[in-house]
Amino acid sequence: MSNIAGKAYAMNVVTPIRWYFVWLNKLIFWLAIKIPGVLTGLITLSLIHYARWVIVSRNDFPHLSPEQPREELKYSYMFFFSNFNGSWDQYVDSFTFSIPGGLDLFWKWNIRYPNSVPLMPFHNYIRYNQVDTNHYYNATPLAASNDVKAAAAIMDSLQSFDKAVANLSPEEFQKQYFAVLRKHQNDLGDMQPTPIVSLAAHEVEMRRKRELAQHAHEHDHEGELHG
Amino acid sequence: MTAVLDLFDIQGEVTRAYARFGFFYSRYLLLQIKDGARGRDFICAMAAQVTTAATWDGGPQSAPRPDSTLNISFTYAGLKALGIPRASLAGFPADFVMGMRARREILGDDGPSHPDHWDPVWKQPVHVLVSINALSTEAREQRYQAVLGMLANSEDGVVLLEGHRGPGGALLPYQDGHVVFENGQPTSKEHFGYTDGIGEPIFEGLPDMAERVWGRGKQVYDSDGNVNWLPLETGEFLLGHYDEAHEYPPAPMPNLLSRNGTYTVYRKLHENVGSFNKYLEEQGAKYPGGKELLAAKFVGRWRDNGAPLTDAPDAAAKQAWDQKYAAASPQEQDRMLAGVVFDDDQSGAKCPFSAHIRRINPRAALEFGTKNAFDTPGALANRRRILRRGLPYGESKPGQFSDDGEHGIVIMMLGASIERQFEFVQQQWINYGNDFRAGNDKEILLGNHGGPHGACPSRAVLPVDPNSQDAPFFLCNIPRLVTTRGGDYFFTPSMTALRMIAEGTVDPT
Repeated sequence: MSNIAGKAYAMNVVTPIRWYFVWLNKLIFWLAIKIPGVLTGLITLSLIHYARWVIVSRNDFPHLSPEQPREELKYSYMFFFSNFNGSWDQYVDSFTFSIPGGLDLFWKWNIRYPNSVPLMPFHNYIRYNQVDTNHYYNATPLAASNDVKAAAAIMDSLQSFDKAVANLSPEEFQKQYFAVLRKHQNDLGDMQPTPIVSLAAHEVEMRRKRELAQHAHEHDHEGELHG
Repeated sequence: MTAVLDLFDIQGEVTRAYARFGFFYSRYLLLQIKDGARGRDFICAMAAQVTTAATWDGGPQSAPRPDSTLNISFTYAGLKALGIPRASLAGFPADFVMGMRARREILGDDGPSHPDHWDPVWKQPVHVLVSINALSTEAREQRYQAVLGMLANSEDGVVLLEGHRGPGGALLPYQDGHVVFENGQPTSKEHFGYTDGIGEPIFEGLPDMAERVWGRGKQVYDSDGNVNWLPLETGEFLLGHYDEAHEYPPAPMPNLLSRNGTYTVYRKLHENVGSFNKYLEEQGAKYPGGKELLAAKFVGRWRDNGAPLTDAPDAAAKQAWDQKYAAASPQEQDRMLAGVVFDDDQSGAKCPFSAHIRRINPRAALEFGTKNAFDTPGALANRRRILRRGLPYGESKPGQFSDDGEHGIVIMMLGASIERQFEFVQQQWINYGNDFRAGNDKEILLGNHGGPHGACPSRAVLPVDPNSQDAPFFLCNIPRLVTTRGGDYFFTPSMTALRMIAEGTVDPT
């Protein structure tokens, strides 16, 4: 398993919800999207790539073929998916420190949801209901979501800058160049590997790298033998 | 909730930065327990001498002011050696159990900060930290001799560890510290010339809470939207008390063992004064605002008097600030120094995102100008606060261009969770920058720049006013200005717990 790839962590949490509250929960989700400002806190937490809540009603689980046995589900289920930068603790804690009210609203009707404050019962609730990630791929392992957003913004600016400055005098060019620098002065952070998320994760990563290197080495020898 | 603390049960180092009370000299001893029973007898003798948090003001919770203080803390191995039951030991968190050396990769203690380069004293198992603070060198020596006497009485049940590097590279049985003197006058400066220790967290129940909470507690807004400050919850700094998450911090059993105790992170940090002076000269010659403003940008405060850049962002504003400061009452002066907010500096044009004070305590800055984004403005900062104790050590000369010699800071950082507070700040805010939307940019002064194995050189951006015509300034190839020379994680028990440890009566049943 690996919940971690590069600077990103993938979290999946599946929690049961009483079927007769599903409509209320869906109404709350709908309102959260419609009413401006409700999600401001969530959006300001820039370590989050995205957070998605989905409710599957107990009768809506896929039934793919007649051979698949029918399930009698007691509860409907809420699926929470998120990718974020940093550690599990950092993420869960950021949520409860910053937007405990919003979290409680989203999870309120879920079975045995303890509220996001105090912290330890909430930690236990998430741990208990988390489904680990079997495989996780990250296209930009050196980048946090902030870095991706900054890079995209700089790319846009540089392309228009390139067009705009083709025929400028050196003085005017410098003025325009400084303007671009000022606009992006807080988008220019360095991009390096992630700090160690945890010592356990670090050890797993080291072992995996050693195994890959070993595998590559053996592969090379195979090539020599057959070549 | 207004907490009333039992000051006689709390060790004095938790509530007091002793230097602020005239204790300008310190000595730190590391001990090893060779025999549990004789070790407990030694702790029993020490406990009678330990300085509590009792006030010195003659009030109902007061004691006479001593001319030296004594405080004591234990590593996990130390508690084990003293015979704490396994069931209690199992309640301590993994960070404390592992200790600083094993956590070095989280802390970024690599290259010259790697434990291989620490003072030799850390190469052996360390069990006990004794810290002495004194009004004079004589009082310090007297207290030291008293501890040596108790050690002698233990008949090698407890031994004093040697190997702290001292002046001239001598290996000493203790680490000394003292405030930096300028022209014979004590200052609150460290060896780079900055005024230190202004932004101390203030929590519920501290005796001088009301007069010092401004700028030091947690930032809130009153009903008119003006900045105000409230004390942090006690449980952020003392186990057994309500914390900012509205619960009691996880702690070992029995409650009497943990309540009113805390964790102390001891770190000896060498300051590369030569590299600092050289880098400041080089960059200062290029920086449009000049050398002193650049030095201020590293930290977020001017070196001479600690004036915050948020209120004195350039030379002209600094002059006005100084005039106002000179005319202010002592209480107003304190507020001018401590009352830093980043609300009017969203671009970092005044105080850069990689400056020391913005990194170690961002206040409401992580809302990034979206007021009321979070349920409380300091949501992401309030649970990362750290009490800082300790003193500078060694001597350095102004304008010194060599890193050699023994000079730096012995810093002790106290809090209810080493991982959530110290380690988080060290890893995420000092050696990394994502929370500040600064990628991997490190804190300028303390970051572990120029890592080993040819890692990429460090840089930092000093932003400018977005409405100006200027270009931001890039600090490139930042050298490692501070290196770790040793340290470990300690538990600082209450007086009750200390006596229980000494008597061998800790029982989690």
